[in-house]
Amino acid sequence: MELVEKVSGDVTILVLNGRLDSNTSKLLEDKVMDVLRQGCKKLLMDFQDVDYINSTGLRVLLLALQQLKKSQGKLVLCCIKDYMKEVFEISGYTEIFPIFTTQEEAVTGFA
Amino acid sequence: MGDVVVFRLSNKLLELDRLAEAVEAFGERHGFPRKMIYQVRLVLDELLTNVISYGFSDNTAHEIEVEMRLVDSRLMLSIEDDAAPFDPLQAMTPDLTTAMEDRAIGGLGIHLVRKLMDSVRYERRDEKNRLFLEKTIS
Repeated sequence: MELVEKVSGDVTILVLNGRLDSNTSKLLEDKVMDVLRQGCKKLLMDFQDVDYINSTGLRVLLLALQQLKKSQGKLVLCCIKDYMKEVFEISGYTEIFPIFTTQEEAVTGFA
Repeated sequence: MGDVVVFRLSNKLLELDRLAEAVEAFGERHGFPRKMIYQVRLVLDELLTNVISYGFSDNTAHEIEVEMRLVDSRLMLSIEDDAAPFDPLQAMTPDLTTAMEDRAIGGLGIHLVRKLMDSVRYERRDEKNRLFLEKTIS
C-alpha cells in the first residue's frame, strides 16, 4: 500500500496504490486521521491503482466518513476498478459514498 | 473429477498472501474473469482472517486446509480447521439500512461471503469446522 497526498483547492486527494487489506489498512486509517486533524473537510480517495480491498479496508472508508460527518465534512471516492464495484454495491457503499469515474469529476463533485 | 487444488496454510495472517497467489493462479489457469478471481480471493480472505484472528487461543501452530475444485463452471471451495467451533452463518450481519452515521463497524466480511457465494454450508465434525462454498463462474 502506498499513499500520495495531493491538494486541489480545498480538496485533499489521497491517491491509493496497492492492496487495502488486513495488513495495510491501518496505514490509510492513520493517514485519514492525520489529514482530519489538519482540518480537512473535503477528502477524495482515488482508487485508480487499488487492485484489492477487503472488509478491513472497507471499514476504514466508513470510519473516515463517520469522522468527516462529525465536522460537516465530505468523503468522495473515484476511479474504482470495474471488477471491484460489485463489492462496493453489496456493502451498501454505493448508497452512502458519492463515487465518480475520474478524479476531475470527483473534485468538481464537491462543489 | 474436475481440477482440484488443496492448499495448506498455518494460522498466520501472512500466509494469506500465499493463498491469494494460489487463487490467482487457479483462476488464471481456468480463465476466470478478473471479477471472479477477486471475489474468490476476497471470500477466502474474509473467512480465513476470522479463523486465524479469533479461532485459536493456544499459541501453537495449526494447519488449515483449503480446497478449490472446479467442475465445469462450478467452483467448490472448502475450508477445514481445528479452531474453536464457529459457524459464520450464525454471525450477525450488518444492518445496511441503518443510517450511515450509526452503522456498526463490523460484520461486513461475513455479509460479503454470503452475498458473493451461491451457497455456504457449515458443519462441525471430528472436532473440526468445515465450510463448503459454491459459486458458478460466469
